[in-house]
Amino acid sequence: MTGTAAMDIRPILSTLMRHKIASLLIVLEIALTCAIVCNALFLIGDRLDRMNMHSGIADHELVRIQAASLRQLSSDDAVDKSVSLEYLDTLRKVPGVRQAAIVSQLPFGGSSNNSSVNLTSDQERPTLDATVYTDEGSLVKTFGLKLLAGRDFNSDEFQDITDLQKAGDKAQIPVAIINRSMAEKLYPGQNAVGKVFYSWTESPTRVIGVVEELARPNSLDQGAYAMIFPLRDYGAGKHYILRTEPGRRAEVLDAAIKALKKTDPNLLVVNQDTFDEVRARYFEQDRAMAWMLVVVIVALLLVTALGIVGLASFWVQQRTKQIGVRRALGATRGQILRYFQLENFLLATVGIALGMLLAYSINQLLMGKYELPRLPLHYLPIGAIALWLLGQAAVFGPARRAAAVPPAVATRSV
Amino acid sequence: MFGYYLNLALRSFRRNKALTALMVLAIALGIGASMTTLTVFHVLSGDPIPDKSDRLFYVQLDPEPMRGYRPGEEPQSQLTRFDSETLLKQKRGLRQTLTSGGNVVISSDKPGTTPQLVDARYASADFFPMFDVPLRYGRAWTASEDDAKARVAVISKELNDKEFGGGDSTGKTLHIAPNDFRIIGVLDAWRLTPRFYDLYNDNYGATEGVFMPFSTARDLDLGTQGNTNCWADSNGDSRALNAPCAWVQYWVELDSAGKAADFRSYLVNYSNQQRAAGRFERPANVRLRNVMELMAFNKVVPGDVRLQLWLALGFLLVCLVNTVGLLLAKFLRRSGEIGVRRALGASRMEIFKQCVVEAGTVGLAGGVFGLLLALLGLWAVRQQPASYASLAHLDGSMLLLTFVLAVAASLLAGLLPAWRAMQVTPAIQLKSQ
Amino acid sequence: MLDMRQVTKVYRTELVETHALRSLDLHVGEGEFVAVTGPSGSGKTTFLNIAGLLETFTGGEFRLDGEDVRGLSDDARSRLRNQKIGFIFQSFNLIPDLNLFDNCDVPLRYRGMPAAERKLRIEDALGLVGLGSRIRHYPAELSGGQQQRAAIARALAGSPRLLLADEPTGNLDSQMARSVMELLEDINQQGTTIIMVTHDPELAARAQRNVHIVDGMATDLSIEPGLVRAMHAQAEDAATHA
Repeated sequence: MTGTAAMDIRPILSTLMRHKIASLLIVLEIALTCAIVCNALFLIGDRLDRMNMHSGIADHELVRIQAASLRQLSSDDAVDKSVSLEYLDTLRKVPGVRQAAIVSQLPFGGSSNNSSVNLTSDQERPTLDATVYTDEGSLVKTFGLKLLAGRDFNSDEFQDITDLQKAGDKAQIPVAIINRSMAEKLYPGQNAVGKVFYSWTESPTRVIGVVEELARPNSLDQGAYAMIFPLRDYGAGKHYILRTEPGRRAEVLDAAIKALKKTDPNLLVVNQDTFDEVRARYFEQDRAMAWMLVVVIVALLLVTALGIVGLASFWVQQRTKQIGVRRALGATRGQILRYFQLENFLLATVGIALGMLLAYSINQLLMGKYELPRLPLHYLPIGAIALWLLGQAAVFGPARRAAAVPPAVATRSV
Repeated sequence: MFGYYLNLALRSFRRNKALTALMVLAIALGIGASMTTLTVFHVLSGDPIPDKSDRLFYVQLDPEPMRGYRPGEEPQSQLTRFDSETLLKQKRGLRQTLTSGGNVVISSDKPGTTPQLVDARYASADFFPMFDVPLRYGRAWTASEDDAKARVAVISKELNDKEFGGGDSTGKTLHIAPNDFRIIGVLDAWRLTPRFYDLYNDNYGATEGVFMPFSTARDLDLGTQGNTNCWADSNGDSRALNAPCAWVQYWVELDSAGKAADFRSYLVNYSNQQRAAGRFERPANVRLRNVMELMAFNKVVPGDVRLQLWLALGFLLVCLVNTVGLLLAKFLRRSGEIGVRRALGASRMEIFKQCVVEAGTVGLAGGVFGLLLALLGLWAVRQQPASYASLAHLDGSMLLLTFVLAVAASLLAGLLPAWRAMQVTPAIQLKSQ
Repeated sequence: MLDMRQVTKVYRTELVETHALRSLDLHVGEGEFVAVTGPSGSGKTTFLNIAGLLETFTGGEFRLDGEDVRGLSDDARSRLRNQKIGFIFQSFNLIPDLNLFDNCDVPLRYRGMPAAERKLRIEDALGLVGLGSRIRHYPAELSGGQQQRAAIARALAGSPRLLLADEPTGNLDSQMARSVMELLEDINQQGTTIIMVTHDPELAARAQRNVHIVDGMATDLSIEPGLVRAMHAQAEDAATHA
């Protein structure tokens, strides 16, 4: 009976046309839900992408201690240096510590030190703005950065940042390591190693290495540019990064703090945590937003389902006599059930089609106001299938009740 | 007739418990979500200092060199130390203050206590009257104490409770290693929402623990916290008086909003003077924004909060469409009764009114449950890790809005079904089909 | 009371034009008890709808209680219906959610009557039909006859000038039917004009006048009594041979 389905559609459509308002309401509700759900799913995906952003460093192997000594509070550069070196020395001796470094910022750490970068010394406006990571000797190894080209710094290439600042006009930063995004932006399609740029000083800086990735501490939406200068930067409130095995992080963190306290009773610990915790804190808002979106999607689907159940029940009740007549004329229960399911399917299809258009319009709006990318096409079938299934599930109860209407109803008059 | 229709509506609820529950639930969910996000938005975007927000202005100048200059571009978001201290000396507003964020290490002689890193704020004397800072004990410092770089401090209520057990701590010593400060004042509970005087340090964060004169902080080279922009080499000291770095916030209080134009001219004159003196290179490019303008420009309300608000309103819209459908079903189910009422003399308008009252009653019930859901939602927001989370509380105006929104939404939803119901012709036969 | 001259009613759809009433003439004086008979499809339901101001008519003149109702707005018709006409339906048409008091209350509410007066009239009306003790009962708790009497009370509570009854005993057994008819006769005796549509010749015989509607036109049978007797005879034949 392949022709039956097609023949069935016309009378269904004409019945629906006679109940224009109710049909329109179901279509509208499905359309709105489809549009919102598609966009919400996309937003969740977008947030998940953000949360899974590649840091470039060995996420699971690092712990951080942000510390200062009371001795460092008198702003004496020499004291700053000696205290920091003392701490580094102590930390390197803690069992389980494979590498240790001192940094002023870390990926997803929140606060950052940025500098503008020019390709020529006389540029009017900077080419880009990049985060500056200062390296006192073991940054690349401690962070576990992957070099794509070039090399790490040699031991003779480092200088104290305080010496640089004292040099005034004659200050130079001869070499630097940059990340891939920065390399591609500055020197598109070329090998960055050996090229020069200008930043912080009047003299050129030569690229000696390119790392696969090194994420910024914040401002993630302003270009993922980061560079490493071989500058030793000591002082109060810096971060001590320790690299160890994933299973030993808690143990190492604990032991490290104890060791530091032992050598320096004037120790002030500002923060102590694993890098995974730092990262999680940075993306807290995104996680909360993703959860909120999930709740909204579930609630929306629930409300729409209830609405369909309500209207479908009403329709069944209105047409009880009609149904009885059909049954009296020979329709089986299954045919009655299928009738209502087909009716719902048609409405859902129109609603979903409308919903797709609406989804794109909403996406356009969001793109403008919240800097989101365009809704990828593969979200649309997901939304469509979800709503088709929802509609069918919701109409099932009322449809079954319709199928249960006895043929005898046809002959009753009141 | 209103009482009559209300009575009829309530009876109808009792008779159609399932359908009514469905409608009330749908509205409650929509209202709950909307009011949760609206409240958060309201808390975050409200005027933090309504009685003078139009008289407090944030000053911006353009001290950068000509290189990279494009006319009309936004200047540096903060002032240099030189400009802020000079403007302060010139005293052209009713009141003025320079300020910056910082952090200090507080240690105590009590054995076994560890030193604490505490957020600090460095400012000048006018800060306290300008921002209506409430003092519980003691006083703020004076302009002469500013000039003298006095080692005085005002502490927050929270710090006072924590370090000194509450009570009047004026006269006590605050040890900010390696110096000793005398506490001259203690704040009352104070939480500006947002902390608009410094939009570069966690807008919705808690009040700083220690307040001290800016001059003192510079004298002792205490740590600063916030945004610093240097456009040239600072030789390692971006805090120096003549450093080419913008990191200080400058606020002025004027007699009235109308005086802004005059003050702006003053700033233009100042810029021209600086250019003549060779310090500024660019043509005068000043900004003078009041509190609300500054908050709007800096997009203080997080984008996520706005997005959540739109999401909730979209959800409410779906709930509304849902309610329209359910109300339509409810009214048309009773079309027999409507026909009889019309036959007995009800005009179409009376039927319309009866349906509208019923819709409004559903809205009211939805509002009650929506309120409960909103309270639940706000509790959930308070568990969130954002700094503004603890501020998410329902106030009087939001409470009222809950019911107004619920009733208005359901009345709107009821219009179409009521219109449809009033088309039912007066009938002799109680038709079942 | 009711004065119809050459009233026509045409239903137009896209495909078909139906003439439900063609040039219907009928005059009912105040205090009369008229029975309207006719085969199904004859237009007697349409006649009743128009008489009760439930429908508009296409052509002709209609004066109700001296007032020309042609061209009245929907609101004006509702008002007139509320104040001057009482309806009694075949299927009672009581509102199931409401008890008897509240059912009788409905037309009075639309008149804007104060509460005290409403209470008085309802209690009187329900007392008149013998349901004074059942004021707070719901229709589902009453027998068919009681429900119809309650419907009559509802119609009476507003002191209508004209009572329109559509097969008032159609859903009742003979005993209940008899008591309802007695009630109607009582009401008529007290001065209320009654027009009753019925297909039962026995019932029709109890009225003062019989009007027969066929093919959209009315024939006053009181002018042709022979027809009445012939109809009676037919009915008796049918009964004995059943």
